[in-house]
Amino acid sequence: MNELALKELLYKMADDQLILGHRNSEWTGFGPLLEEDIAFSSMAQDKIGQSHALYSILHSLGEQEPDTIAFTRHADQFHNCLLTELPNGEYDFSLIRHFLYDTAEIIRFDMLTQSSFKPVAELAVKVRAELRYHTLHANTWVKQLGSATEESISRLQHSLEYALPYALGIFEESPYEKELIAEGIFGGEQALKEKWKTKVEEVINQTQLQLPDWKTMQPILGGRKGKHSEHLQPLLDEMSEVFNIDPTAEW
Amino acid sequence: MNSLDPRVKRLPVIGQPGQIEPKAPLDQFGTFEVFVQPKEGKPFQHEGIVHAPNLEMAFVLAKEAFTRRFMCVSIYVVDTRHVYTSPMTEGNVSVFGFIHETPAQAGEKISYEIYQLIKRGKQHIHAGTVQAVSPQEAMSEAKKVFSTDNKVIYNLWAIRTSDIRFTKPEEQELWLTLPEKKFRDASAYKAGDKLTEFLDKQKN
Repeated sequence: MNELALKELLYKMADDQLILGHRNSEWTGFGPLLEEDIAFSSMAQDKIGQSHALYSILHSLGEQEPDTIAFTRHADQFHNCLLTELPNGEYDFSLIRHFLYDTAEIIRFDMLTQSSFKPVAELAVKVRAELRYHTLHANTWVKQLGSATEESISRLQHSLEYALPYALGIFEESPYEKELIAEGIFGGEQALKEKWKTKVEEVINQTQLQLPDWKTMQPILGGRKGKHSEHLQPLLDEMSEVFNIDPTAEW
Repeated sequence: MNSLDPRVKRLPVIGQPGQIEPKAPLDQFGTFEVFVQPKEGKPFQHEGIVHAPNLEMAFVLAKEAFTRRFMCVSIYVVDTRHVYTSPMTEGNVSVFGFIHETPAQAGEKISYEIYQLIKRGKQHIHAGTVQAVSPQEAMSEAKKVFSTDNKVIYNLWAIRTSDIRFTKPEEQELWLTLPEKKFRDASAYKAGDKLTEFLDKQKN
């Protein structure tokens, strides 16, 4: 098995979950209503848990401890896509990001349940189950607010147009696409992107939102290669603050 | 007054002389009742309410509000206004004495879920399903079916089955990883032990 290809795949997936999990957790205590605050915080916790599980697989492949990987790398060593690191902004943007990202992730993990690398295939079954709630949550909110009032529709529309080029960055190709596909580890970013577009269209078409023409969108890339926006390093500094003061701290 | 705190927004505004206006409704959602099945084969039990704009949103919000921690295999939700309640009894009086036999009614019989309160201060627990034309008849049917043993029941609920948003078969896996999320239990952190250890250290 091509270990470099496998590790590259695991790192980008784990980094996505960690960074977006941290971003979404910033809503804890500030959610638009109590029940939503709890739901969004729980899902953020799920994402951190999923990143931990992926870092643990990496550790079993010879990489460092999950905490070390998560808390001691510099921004340019992270492989998360730019979509996940953008600041939360207003709730409309956080919701649209959650919808676009998790729609991709449930398809990714669904594909990975067939992976030739067994530890990932087994984990994917569990992660897919958690993501089933995340996508139910996202789809229900988008359908609700995407057809509710003039304000909710225009806010979501604005966020959708802003987020889509970043969302296309989720599918930035790895140097090992051919190897991953040939060895049956993962079906590849192209296949994932096509399935994702179909699902996004299916949900958006049930609302009063307008999906711009895919052909007019320019993907914003770089995250997978460690080229990040100015927003990632401050996030990492805050996330690793306690670890940097006392790496052995437990709570 | 402009504030992010809804309580501040609800403070009465000092008015103008001669001003008479209708009372403004509170800016909040309606409520939905949440029922949880803790284990396969166990009855559903009433767990609480969520605020939501509609039934589907209520289902989504109820899942995390009520099944973040404890065992769960399925939930369902229903609009609070669709729950029919019997009178509540006092002392050791059973509710069945408060429910009148309903003469046979014309119309199509539909299915009702019956909940009973077995212990005061506890949740209503699912007793079974009856077929009836109206909520009144559902209560009367429940009396026939569920009052056979001598257990004292304090209160009954009847809910039209068709008003319920159930967990769909493909959603059953929503709780698959729940037993692994020990970090959501305070006990997993052994906070008491850590505190004792810390205090001991301070003494020495």
